[in-house]
Amino acid sequence: MVGLNKNIVRTILIASYIMIIALVISGISALFGYLNTGADRSTMLHTEIKKIEQYTPKVIWSPLNNDGRPIDEESLKAIENDYLDAWYVKHIAYKTNTTAGIKDYYTESARLNLIDFITLNSNKNITIESTTLEHHPTLEFFSEDGQLAVITDKNVVEYKRILQNENTVLETTEISTYKIVLLLEDGFWRIRHLVKEATKNYDVKQSQIATNNLNIKGINYYPQATPWDMFGETFSTDTIAKDFQIIKDAGLNTVRVFVQYDDFGKADVSQHKLKKLEQFLDTAETAKLDVVVTLFDFYGDYSVLDWTLNMRHAETIVTTFKNHKAIVAWDIKNEPDLDFKSRGKENVMAWLNHMVILVKSIDEIHPVTIGWSNTQNATLLKDKIDFVSFHYYEDLEFLDASIRALKAEISNKAIVMGEFGMSSYDGFWKPFGSSDEDQANYHKKAQEIIATHDLQYLSWTLYDFANIPKEVVGRLPWRKNAQKHFGFIDKNGAKKAAFTYISEQ
Amino acid sequence: MRLNYFYIGLLGLFMLSSFDVKQQNEIENDLKLLTTQTVFEAGSSITLQFSASETTKPILYCTNSYGSTMISPKVEESLLLYSIPQNICQKTGLVYWKLINNSTSLSGQFEIIPKQEVASIESYIGPPSIEAGGLDYTMLVVIPTDSLDNPLSENTPVNAKHQFLTTETNDAIFTKHIIAFKNIYSKQESGRMLVSSESLNTNSKEFTIMVFPAIPVGFSISAQRPHDYADGNQLTTFETSILKDRQNNIISDGTFVTFFITNEKGNILKTYGTTINGKAKARMIHPDYETEWSIQAYVVGMAESNTITLKYKQVVTNFEVAFSNNNRTLTVGPLQSFMKQMIPDGLQVKALLYKDDKLIDTLSKTSINGFVNFNLKPNILKNDTYTIVIKTAGLEKTFNEIQLW
Repeated sequence: MVGLNKNIVRTILIASYIMIIALVISGISALFGYLNTGADRSTMLHTEIKKIEQYTPKVIWSPLNNDGRPIDEESLKAIENDYLDAWYVKHIAYKTNTTAGIKDYYTESARLNLIDFITLNSNKNITIESTTLEHHPTLEFFSEDGQLAVITDKNVVEYKRILQNENTVLETTEISTYKIVLLLEDGFWRIRHLVKEATKNYDVKQSQIATNNLNIKGINYYPQATPWDMFGETFSTDTIAKDFQIIKDAGLNTVRVFVQYDDFGKADVSQHKLKKLEQFLDTAETAKLDVVVTLFDFYGDYSVLDWTLNMRHAETIVTTFKNHKAIVAWDIKNEPDLDFKSRGKENVMAWLNHMVILVKSIDEIHPVTIGWSNTQNATLLKDKIDFVSFHYYEDLEFLDASIRALKAEISNKAIVMGEFGMSSYDGFWKPFGSSDEDQANYHKKAQEIIATHDLQYLSWTLYDFANIPKEVVGRLPWRKNAQKHFGFIDKNGAKKAAFTYISEQ
Repeated sequence: MRLNYFYIGLLGLFMLSSFDVKQQNEIENDLKLLTTQTVFEAGSSITLQFSASETTKPILYCTNSYGSTMISPKVEESLLLYSIPQNICQKTGLVYWKLINNSTSLSGQFEIIPKQEVASIESYIGPPSIEAGGLDYTMLVVIPTDSLDNPLSENTPVNAKHQFLTTETNDAIFTKHIIAFKNIYSKQESGRMLVSSESLNTNSKEFTIMVFPAIPVGFSISAQRPHDYADGNQLTTFETSILKDRQNNIISDGTFVTFFITNEKGNILKTYGTTINGKAKARMIHPDYETEWSIQAYVVGMAESNTITLKYKQVVTNFEVAFSNNNRTLTVGPLQSFMKQMIPDGLQVKALLYKDDKLIDTLSKTSINGFVNFNLKPNILKNDTYTIVIKTAGLEKTFNEIQLW
């Protein structure tokens, strides 16, 4: 007995000795490993191009007809780049009241003017968040030795939000004309003189698109295998065509899809993704389904200096597909009101306003809406958009009253319930959840209310999903699991009880 | 009776509401811009006056060419005074303002014009050197600015001045799009051009533009040599005529001239020179055998000369070869020049060794004191019979079946 104990003690001692040694050695080797990192030979020459687009307002040059020397494309591009960078560093300077970067883009005497403003504003605790959305430059003069250029920048659309003591005091959008003298110094085109020649408030006369003929009876769509990743590697028009057949046969006429901002390549939209979206729209057209395209999914920055990048994203997509027969409407953003708290209501509202202006300026045929997350917020920007859409996940008891309240405020525009539905999840994470039967009753009742109010609708969603990305509802299992069971068709492809009430048929 | 009260009450409510509306109007009307001036000179102090309302003290948003800010009012005898910050008053351009008030949105703009004076003349000139001939030009760009660094208004007169040789020229130009510019063309002659400008009695600094001669036109070359023998020792000197451009200006010093020498075999030799006062010189060592050279010079891509030919006479007419030391030592010489003098050191002599018509070795040496010795080493050339060919100064002698032992 004693011998056994001794052996156990010995074994433990030896084992712990070995473990300690192993730990010490791995610690030392990790330290060595760390000290040996860096100084990769391939990085020695700094040949990699680090430039990423930060600021991409719309720039439209007038036809070249300048005095002095005829300009070549490269020089014009260089002037444009540095001129826009000058605006960008100015925005940053006034936002932060610091002078970083100013000396690269303003000559020694011109930068004093900016520094004066920074001093003035920082004393009063004023910061300005600003951006420019459009530039229409004309090259007036380019000197013989290529060192001096004069441009007139007409109708520069400038958005500014002025904050004093971190409270927004004023939001203003102005449209101005500037005359600029630029000098080529140390390889930078620097602003030497800047004179504002005309300015006024920017009032966009938005034309409203009639939505009398809008008749949306549809569903929010993701393929069963790839929810929130429809345009990924496994994109297949066959799957989509089959699903569209189901949707069409169920008596629906519209699908709502989501274009994810990051997935589509942000400001520089990937051609590859555009091709897939085109195939998707073609498939919808073949199936005689209309498509509501929701832009900016999973985007949540809204900061003023990000706008120009967002605009290039929207511009590319809307320009590419504005003539596609399958498009029925543009949904600018899914549930932007959920970002009010984290990003500030002013930020989000100003962003939406300008994004609506942009999309409507490009596409004059298709109506524009915003997918508000509830009926209370659905009246926001109601004068800017062409039809109102809201999402409804509350108790159906209150839907009737909510719609009445909404209709009282919006008399002249179509109202679309852009998302509604019920999860049939009833399991470990939600023991008193709803059953398939509850879901069926929900949709039955929803269709009754829809019929009463002659409402247009897009239900959530065709399929139960096996996997939900964490970006959708977070990581919490009770949320994730609930989100998996909103479909009319279950995991195995069988129609759930609710399928009977997918449409009014 | 009850109904009457109801009507009275209704009437009262109605009047009250109309009164209320009127009051609102009054507040709106109350806040009015009193300043009528809309154009100010840069640097003057600007105060916007509004008729005051007792309760509100709205702040004023104000933006100019470079930036934006907020201004709080000063209340003075029922007036709201907004004094525009100095840095805004000093810069030209439009100033746009908005009164930030909940009920009203008053906005407007005024213009700040530059002072009618020129404090400094910024001038830029380029390119700094141009070509004579009247086709090339340099561009003078002038930005007259006032004492607050504002560019002057459109159509400000500028006098562009330049001096060249004996002429002084003044040209009146006017600012357009902030700048005024003038193309200054070269004349026929080369030289230095001095450029300056003047606006409203303020003068710029002086700039110097170099007017370089244009590219050279055709020229001729000549050759000088101590004798016409192909001795492989003396130098022939080539010289160009004075290189000039189309306008008869001597081309710039340092222009590179290449002399191409083609011999009878069609081989090309090159030698180079750069010009000083228009002339370039280059040298080439004489050939060591009789030949004829034809020489042409070029300023590459611009001009070429005539072609001259030079004949070189043979100097070494014959030579002896003596075999000694088991035929392993070959003594070539004496090699004699045109006056029977020993040829100067350095004449190349080659010995080619053949075995059964196959070249097995080539030995090359230069002459010393008129002789060349070749030693055929036994560890390279085994004892055997060889054919040996000696070549020098374009001459060749063959020795068949030479036994080495």
